[in-house]
Amino acid sequence: MPVIEMQNISKLYGFGEATTLALDEVTFSVESGEFIAIMGPSGCGKSTLMHIIGMLDRPTHGEYLLHNRHVARLSPNQAAKIRRDTIGFIFQSQNLVSRMTVLENVALPLVYKGMSLTKRLEKASRILERVGMQSREYFLPAHLSGGQVQCAAIARALVNDPQLIIADEPTGNLDSAGSRLIMELLNEVHRMGNTVIFVTHNPELTRYANRVVYMRDGEIIADEKTAIGSVASSALKNMYTIPKKTAEDDLAGVSALMQAVPQKTAIPKKSKRSQRKSAKSKRRTSQRKQKART
Amino acid sequence: MIVLNKGDIKTAFHTLRRNKARSLLTMLGVIIGVTSVVTVVSIGEGVKQQVNAQTEHLGKDLITIRPGQLLNQSVSSQLSGNDLLGNVSRVGALSNQDINTVFKTPGVASSVPLSLVTSNVISSESKRPYNALVIGTNALLPTMLHQGLEFGSFFSDNQTSVNNVIIGSHVAQVLFTENVPLGQTITILGQQFVVEGIFNDFQPAPISIDVDFNNAVFIPYTAAEQITNNDSPIYEILARPQSVNQTNLVANNIRSSLLAAHGGQHDFTVLEQSQTLAVTDNILNLLTALIGGVAAIALLVGGIGIMNVMLVSISERMHEVGIRKAVGATNRQILTQFITEAAVLSFSGGFIGVLLSLIVDICLRILTNIAPLITWQIVALAFIVSVGIGLLFGSIPALQAARKDPIEALRNE
Repeated sequence: MPVIEMQNISKLYGFGEATTLALDEVTFSVESGEFIAIMGPSGCGKSTLMHIIGMLDRPTHGEYLLHNRHVARLSPNQAAKIRRDTIGFIFQSQNLVSRMTVLENVALPLVYKGMSLTKRLEKASRILERVGMQSREYFLPAHLSGGQVQCAAIARALVNDPQLIIADEPTGNLDSAGSRLIMELLNEVHRMGNTVIFVTHNPELTRYANRVVYMRDGEIIADEKTAIGSVASSALKNMYTIPKKTAEDDLAGVSALMQAVPQKTAIPKKSKRSQRKSAKSKRRTSQRKQKART
Repeated sequence: MIVLNKGDIKTAFHTLRRNKARSLLTMLGVIIGVTSVVTVVSIGEGVKQQVNAQTEHLGKDLITIRPGQLLNQSVSSQLSGNDLLGNVSRVGALSNQDINTVFKTPGVASSVPLSLVTSNVISSESKRPYNALVIGTNALLPTMLHQGLEFGSFFSDNQTSVNNVIIGSHVAQVLFTENVPLGQTITILGQQFVVEGIFNDFQPAPISIDVDFNNAVFIPYTAAEQITNNDSPIYEILARPQSVNQTNLVANNIRSSLLAAHGGQHDFTVLEQSQTLAVTDNILNLLTALIGGVAAIALLVGGIGIMNVMLVSISERMHEVGIRKAVGATNRQILTQFITEAAVLSFSGGFIGVLLSLIVDICLRILTNIAPLITWQIVALAFIVSVGIGLLFGSIPALQAARKDPIEALRNE
């Protein structure tokens, strides 16, 4: 049973001539227990997709089913409750509230659930033990290393026992040792049965994932299942097959280099049914897109 | 309904402590407002109590006749502060004839004139002039004021023109090093007077229309006339009726007989004790209203200060709002958190304000003869008003934070 089903999700920012298209008719589904790496250059819409999956943001068009429930048009308060109960977030940086101790930070989601102080601190302490941070419970975030902060963030994401863990570049600010620590931890979380979606720029880290999604200009251009332990071919292709520059390339300009990068033609074909379904909303989106271009 | 919870209050106190200087400056408006309101009201309460005590001491049947029309008296004997201010300039004078008129009015048991001698007093000991109140009066004054002498004796009826002086306790302390300066001399307008008695402490009655008798010296009425060549204006005439029940009737009698003697000119005031109280009340109410207005402005400014600092604090912590929303805080929970913070800020201001006003009151008790009285009602009111201000002015920034889009909030670093 799919945890997430997205149909033709589009996200537009701005008004009139300043309109930008962050997500362009993305259709995407996630099965329970998947460990998905999302890759792509900066500005390709990875974070926007994460925010929409995590219900921090609402799509401009399209349908989003989370656990078979339509959630694209929920009120902010309903969305907050779903975030609280089913989704755990890990951001790239500044995950923790700086004035609160690690323990208080980890217990934060439980505050909004209405759990009593003793109970929530107990539970937070248990989770911190699981991520190996119990000795740092009473430290302030400023006294922790980057890796430890991310560990605490994972603990906080887990404290509500959510099915879905969303990590937006959790290793973005870490060195390789720190990255490994965090990825091992996420791997463990995945093994315990959680669905994990993470964004990364590092193709090496796709070894942990069993599915890799590559995005570009607001669209998914590659989506492949990989064996755990091997680097995804699309990631390798994108990262390592870019040819070395020659004098000719300099003359031709940067555009010559970009030929090696997969283009939008690589999008997996949609089924006829979903195409019909989306025809109406697509027309609307393309009209707005055209306006934005002119 | 927003419910303040323990966690939010703890967070709020934490934030308050973290920016001590800023929090204190923010609270300043509320502190000043609360301090002034509590102090002024406590002074008012204290003075009212003191005046009441004095009235009790003097008795309800004391009638005071003053020159000039101090009050506009309506048919129902209601007094108003406006009349008090408007008519205070209408002066008149009381003469020796008026003393007789009062004395002969039917129903009057006794009467005592008090005349003022404008002069400094010089004691035989210090030789320096001292600015005491010199009052010419007759032998009945101690009985009239229900006031005993600490030492010595008052001059008697047949000593009306001898050069004896009875001094108030404060004058005794200031002019003489001796504890009991009986037999010492005081010079008033070149005439020597022998100290024959010292009054007990008069109960202080601040902000009342009576003068401070502790700082007065009393000489016989005739002696006062002699040393001033009959130029000692009568300050007041005190009278008592034969029975307490007749006070109102006798006061009216005095009023009509004086009116007849003055040819219909209403240039004097006949006051009963209840009316003296009313005059004090009028003055106090006016004062309380004025300073209350100023305090209200201080509280308003304090509230705006709180709103300003909350706006700054919230924009500083927008990322935190983002995190809280990402982990599942609803708009209402964010709203509650920041409103609690504002309420805690202003409540602390109110608390400090009440403490400060306690200190001010203690200082007033030590340094002046005012004895302010802080009642629980005013303390409760101060707390309610200060928390109310926090809730009112904190709600705008808190709403702003609550309605912030989580993505936008997270973008703030």
